Amino acid sequence: MKDKISLLFAVGALAFAGFMLASGFYIYLIACTSWKEVAPQFLSGRVLGALFISVSSSFIVGILALVAGVPFAYFLAYGDFRFKSTLETLMVDLPQTFPPVTVGLVYLILLGSRSPVNIAFTFTAVVIAKFYVSSPFMVGFAARRFREVKARGLDLIARSLGADTRQLLFRIIIPLSRRDLLAGFSLTWARAMGELGATMVFAGIIPWRTEVIPTLVYSVSQTEPNTAIAAAVVAETLSIAALISLRRGVREKR
Amino acid sequence: MKILRLENVCKSYGETRALDMVNLETTAGEFMVVMGPSGCGKTTLLLVILGALQPDEGHVIIDGEAVDDLPMESRGMGYVPQDFGLFPHMNVRQNISFGLEVKNTPREVIDQTVKRMLSLVQLSQHSERRPSELSGGEKQRVALARALATNPSLLLLDEPLSSIDEATKTHVRESLKKILKEAGATTICVLHNPEDAFALGDRIAVMNKGRIIQVGTPQELLEEPRDSIVKKLIATMYV
Ligand SMILES: Nc1ncnc2c1ncn2[C@@H]1O[C@H](COP(=O)(O)OP(=O)(O)O)[C@@H](O)[C@H]1O
Ligand SMILES: [Mg+2]
Repeated sequence: MKDKISLLFAVGALAFAGFMLASGFYIYLIACTSWKEVAPQFLSGRVLGALFISVSSSFIVGILALVAGVPFAYFLAYGDFRFKSTLETLMVDLPQTFPPVTVGLVYLILLGSRSPVNIAFTFTAVVIAKFYVSSPFMVGFAARRFREVKARGLDLIARSLGADTRQLLFRIIIPLSRRDLLAGFSLTWARAMGELGATMVFAGIIPWRTEVIPTLVYSVSQTEPNTAIAAAVVAETLSIAALISLRRGVREKR
Repeated sequence: MKILRLENVCKSYGETRALDMVNLETTAGEFMVVMGPSGCGKTTLLLVILGALQPDEGHVIIDGEAVDDLPMESRGMGYVPQDFGLFPHMNVRQNISFGLEVKNTPREVIDQTVKRMLSLVQLSQHSERRPSELSGGEKQRVALARALATNPSLLLLDEPLSSIDEATKTHVRESLKKILKEAGATTICVLHNPEDAFALGDRIAVMNKGRIIQVGTPQELLEEPRDSIVKKLIATMYV
């Protein structure tokens, strides 16, 4: 290194990489060093319960995002209306930066004990709480791919050949977007797995009912660190797996 | 074989006037070339005829009937865009049969038609290949076959020779001409190269800045070029 700025940049980059790697993977080191105490916790009822609630509710969130997000993405790509980009910002970008805890509060007030439909602190509440912050991944991936298909003019050709909207969707647009929809699903699922704030406020932390991995880690981190470590390892491993499967899917030849 | 007529067609994109009072009429089965410099409105003209764009003013008329309110899927026109727009997830056979399948054509008729189209464009041996496994000229013929399979009222080709390399150009041009004469469809074909235009067109419409400057047979254009633009285009052929 000759000049100062490259040296500074190298130091900055190293610090960043070290910090990120340590934050992401140190949990495995911790788990290994206290393996004897942590290992039994993997099969403890609480961890398994939270795992089951987490995986199933996140899967439902993914499915719901697919069912509702794909039509929305279709209108973002093909619709012709004013304020489209504003709408996209509100529906796709904002939820990813919004503090989830405020959404949880809104649901608690809107759908809690003070409202006629009291579903606070239920499994349904877990799903709803996760949906807002997670589903934008689905919409984002789908809309981007739909726009690519549109830019290539494939919709014009299919239409000119006589295809109606249903045939255009199910024979051209969706088959061409399969991998992107899968990627959107994986990321939605992974984000839902990690959601804490909204779930905690609206669904509470009731073991075997609404307790998910993140809320379990939160609630036992002081009192039962070994359980928290086991739960954290499970959560991390699942999100790494989701990312790997996503990369595989996207990298494969179109 | 249908007759296309455009009546005072105007189309603007915001401030850009892409089509300015365009009037044009083909005869049945004619190969009409639309030629002009880049950005003069040729693609826009095809998209308006196709129904992908609504004209701001004027009418598109097929066999004496205005089709302005007819959506694209009901106009029955064949469209081959500049990059051919083959469906990448379907093989050659599936690409060609798509237009027949969406109209619930009986299976035997589809198979028969696809076979006929494949032999028309001489691609029978490549029927199971994906578009990514085809050369530029082969892609063009698949796109042509796909458009012709539905027996279109009108065929719209956008720069069909632009991605064909010079070495095979003459051959591709001849086979294009032969295929279209055999299919007997009225064709509007956009070209920017005067040499291709003169080799292919029954008549040529010369466009500039959204307007049609002159329409005539290659002979007429050579003998009586009506405008400096037309003269310039012809001149480039002999340099
Ligand atoms: N979608 C669009 N939005 C705005 N301007 C456009 C659009 N498409 C084409 N134009 C403009 O309209 C004019 C005609 O374009 P086009 O029909 O594509 O020309 P050509 O096919 O002859 O090259 C050009 O000036 C082009 O920049
Ligand atoms: Mg063009």
